[in-house]
Amino acid sequence: MPPTKTRRLRRRTLRQILGGVRRRARRVAGGARRVWRRSLQLQVVTSTLVISVIVVVVLGAFLSDQINNSVIERRQQSAASDASADRLRIADALNRQQDAQAKPADAGKNVPADPLDEVMDAIIGAGGDGSKTRYEVLILNTAKPGQSRASGNVTPRDVPPALQQMLRRQAEKFVDRPQRSTQPIRFAGEGQPTQTLVIGAMVNLSDGYEVYHFFPISDEEQMLSNVRLAIVVVGFGLVLLLAAIAYLVTRQVVSPVRLARQAAERLASGKLDERLKVRGEDDLARLATSFNEMAANLALKIHQLEELSQVQRQFVSDVSHELRTPLTTVRMAADLLYDAREDFDPMASRSAELMQAQLERFESMLADLLEISRYDAGAADLDVDSVDVRDVVLRAIADSEALAERHSTRFELRLPNEPCMAEIDNRRVERILRNLLFNAIEHGEGRDVVVTVGADRDAVAVAVRDHGIGLKAGEETLVFDRFWRADPSRARTIGGTGLGLAISREDATLHGGWLQAWGQPGEGSQFRLTLPRRAGVDLKGSPLSLVPPEIEMRRTWRGQMTPVLLPAVGDGGGHDLD
Amino acid sequence: MTLTRRLAAMIAVVSAAVIAGSGCAVIPVGGPFPVDEAGSGDSVTVPFQRMVAVPPQPQWGAQQVVEGLQAAMAAYGDDPSILPLYLTEEARRVWKPDGAVTVIDDSFRLDDIVENKEKKETIVTILGNKMAQINEDGTYVPIGPSEDPKISRAITLVKDRSGAYRVNLLPQGLLLTDADVRRAYRPTNLYYLNGTSGGDGEPDRLVADRVRLRIKPTESYAQTIVERLIQGPTSGLQGAVGNEFPAGARVRSIRSSEDRVVVNLTGPFATGDIFVGGLTAQLRASLSDNRLASGRALEVQLDGEPFSSSGPLIVPASLPESWLGGEDNQVFYASKGAVHMLGSDGEGLPLAGPAGQPGELYSGFAISKDRDRIAARATSGGIWVTRHAADARWQESIPGTKLTDPSWHRDGSLWTFDRQNGGVLRSHPAVSRAAEHVAAPALQGLDVTSLRMARDGVRVAVRIGTKEVQVGALAGGGAGTMLSNFHPLTSAEGDDEIRDIAWGDGGHLLVLVQTKAGQVVKEINVSDGETTQLPSTSKPLVSLAAVGEVILATTEDGKEILEFGRDKQTWTPKPATAVDAPLFALG
Repeated sequence: MPPTKTRRLRRRTLRQILGGVRRRARRVAGGARRVWRRSLQLQVVTSTLVISVIVVVVLGAFLSDQINNSVIERRQQSAASDASADRLRIADALNRQQDAQAKPADAGKNVPADPLDEVMDAIIGAGGDGSKTRYEVLILNTAKPGQSRASGNVTPRDVPPALQQMLRRQAEKFVDRPQRSTQPIRFAGEGQPTQTLVIGAMVNLSDGYEVYHFFPISDEEQMLSNVRLAIVVVGFGLVLLLAAIAYLVTRQVVSPVRLARQAAERLASGKLDERLKVRGEDDLARLATSFNEMAANLALKIHQLEELSQVQRQFVSDVSHELRTPLTTVRMAADLLYDAREDFDPMASRSAELMQAQLERFESMLADLLEISRYDAGAADLDVDSVDVRDVVLRAIADSEALAERHSTRFELRLPNEPCMAEIDNRRVERILRNLLFNAIEHGEGRDVVVTVGADRDAVAVAVRDHGIGLKAGEETLVFDRFWRADPSRARTIGGTGLGLAISREDATLHGGWLQAWGQPGEGSQFRLTLPRRAGVDLKGSPLSLVPPEIEMRRTWRGQMTPVLLPAVGDGGGHDLD
Repeated sequence: MTLTRRLAAMIAVVSAAVIAGSGCAVIPVGGPFPVDEAGSGDSVTVPFQRMVAVPPQPQWGAQQVVEGLQAAMAAYGDDPSILPLYLTEEARRVWKPDGAVTVIDDSFRLDDIVENKEKKETIVTILGNKMAQINEDGTYVPIGPSEDPKISRAITLVKDRSGAYRVNLLPQGLLLTDADVRRAYRPTNLYYLNGTSGGDGEPDRLVADRVRLRIKPTESYAQTIVERLIQGPTSGLQGAVGNEFPAGARVRSIRSSEDRVVVNLTGPFATGDIFVGGLTAQLRASLSDNRLASGRALEVQLDGEPFSSSGPLIVPASLPESWLGGEDNQVFYASKGAVHMLGSDGEGLPLAGPAGQPGELYSGFAISKDRDRIAARATSGGIWVTRHAADARWQESIPGTKLTDPSWHRDGSLWTFDRQNGGVLRSHPAVSRAAEHVAAPALQGLDVTSLRMARDGVRVAVRIGTKEVQVGALAGGGAGTMLSNFHPLTSAEGDDEIRDIAWGDGGHLLVLVQTKAGQVVKEINVSDGETTQLPSTSKPLVSLAAVGEVILATTEDGKEILEFGRDKQTWTPKPATAVDAPLFALG
């Protein structure tokens, strides 16, 4: 079904995109985390930034709030006092008005001006020489005709409805508490709303006069916004300044530390004559001095140890050499005795045989010791040649046939069809394989030994699998130690020297290859030799798995039911770079 | 230096800076320093209060509804939405607010309610005294003394469906009380030019035209004034004055800044041939006279751009003196047929030439603008003129038998009224042209006993008999010159007599009235009839002369000159004796 397919395709594409994004984000985050974790200076500067931002924000908010309060409060107070003074005058005028109305209207011509008009003129300065007040006044009486006045361009529509309702509710309860309200009001003829403080109160409660004062507070608002801006700018500058200060200060501290780190790294990489420059007498100078002393002592100790180790190796080598000459003589004598053993009585004959066998073992041990001391002295070198690894394996197996027959062990060979060419030292690899096969026969308890050869573009591998008692956890690396024995009580049946695997590993390392072991109690063990196809090329992986495929498969089945912690041994080059 | 010490030094420096900085945050002391001058608030508008109309309340009675209607009329100019709420559908259709505004005094009262049960109507009558009316062009016309001020306006109310009273019938136009007018209107002087720039001579004087302007809450008073200025003069000066603002011009905005006021105009200004001096003088005087933008320069812009291509048009804060005042205030007087000049030491010096010679032949002297000619009426009736020079002699300028006393115009022409033939005569002694008739249709058939040309050369005052004074204007130019736009200014009631008239400044006429109780000098604003009665003196006065703020009069008995002191509001004598009449140049 093509539609389904395309849909699946599209879905996959989307998922892929998302996955890509997530991967990239994770990579960036990982990079950032690494940079963060590695730079003390960055950490200090960042913490300073964060802390100072918090401090500046808190301080700025507090300061701005304080200024806000004091400015607005002062304005409100002055506005309230202006408004209350005006209300007193208005109340006075209204009382006069009532008095005038109470009197019989005289028919005369000189009617006094309406007190309401007079008081409004007085309040807004209309009568005088035009010193205009900064606020507008609205006297509103909806119950009586002709008793409402306004100054400027305020209209009853400009009164905030909530304020008016509050006043009227209060009036119903005979309360005349002034109320205020601040909001933007767009007055008639003005394009922009103006932030206005409106103070409203009832005057002459019984007559229902509402008096509203409109104080424009756009100046205050402007001032406050300027202050806010200043605080923000100053705060921002302060944060930057603090970050710069932190950067400078930490640089003073961190750069000597960084120098010390670099020196330590160089020291660790073997440059033992690396020293720090000592400047001044401060803590960092003292650190440098201590570091230099430490480096000097370390160099001395290492030198001494090297000398000691050299002496030891020389001793072993010398002993081995010195032992060979008497051994040759002893061997010649023993050969004579052995050849003439049939003439001896059975006791002496048996002794000659035993001596012959132990002498052979002694000889091979001495050879191994000499070989290993050659490694220690760094005198081992490769004699590489391009050969087919399958031939080498077959040769090694042919060498082991006799031993296998004795242990009634059969070999199972799994060789690829094409040649597996690699640049190797024929002799050494054969020795490694022989060692591994002997080992497998010895510990295979008569069961089959499986030899697998694998190859890919870069590497060839040979795995030798036995089905013996196997290895306990942690023994996978111990097996390569010199003179290590899995079970000290067990006798050596094929007369191994205890150095075979150690030498094999040295051989593998000399090739730039890996020799690794896997084993599980009761499941047998497997040794895998991986060699690069071209000498001197680094290995990236092995064509064969270290864990035998059947074990892996069993694990997977089990893993579907219960999650299983894998043993510490895994595929790849985790522990083989040493 | 160790790290610790370095850190310590840094901390010390930072804390020193912080302490010094916070010290500067409080008010700094020291000085003196120059201070930027702060503007004295908004200079383009005036404080004012308004009536706020409230919608009619259901519980109101008929009288209260009429009171509310009256308040809504007062507020109609600001908020025309409330008044219709008082009216029924029909009244809304019929009633129009246009036309002249009737002004009644504050002591109006509402007559008793008359209920017409049959028609279900209620009639409330507003009874009051009419004070004036404000015409649509803003002219304030006070009620004449002869008119009956009593006024009654019947308002018919009906009850609407909800039972509340609504006005069903009311007289057309707005009816305001004096208080309403004082609240919402401001007497405003608009200034025009005494001629047009394309006319005979370049205008050199401003003529005040007084109107009542309604203050608009949504725009600045300065803008209201300039917009009204652009519309042109009122009927009293129609055709007689020049207006440099073209018809169709408008004010975009008037903004006040620290040191100047920016007037942004728009309209068909022909910036090339406009008489900029006149335009700026009109603008400056019209604003300054109303205490707007005082002390600040004006910048005139056209559509937000500089007025002319040569640069911004800046009008200085003070108007050149010559546009309004700067009159020759040297005191002359006629004594025994000779004209004397009053010296600063009080000595009267006779003028050089024949005018300084005592005699019985000439009276009714008039001195021309630059004191170079003196005119007088001969006993035979004609008008004679002499130059002010030792070798000059009297020459007849306007022949006639029953001419009024001559009056000089500022352009050098001499004016009189021929009472015998009932016409206005004019001559030009400087160019010795023959006297010519000037049309004055409004004066036809009137007994003109005095004709005085104002110093601005535009207005003209005539006394008709001894009962009435009318003021008109000299309109047109060249052959079309005529005296027109006459309207009554004041009249004498009963047995009172108007003895003399004299021009003060361009806008005020002084009238000497003989009443039974004594003599009264009235200073009348010729535009709106606003009258100031000067305190009387016990000595009977015969003739007046004035220039600007100075007012002189002669006493009948002592033949001395009295000067009116405006500060003390008293008449004080001047050291001159045997005076027939005080004189000033022109007027």
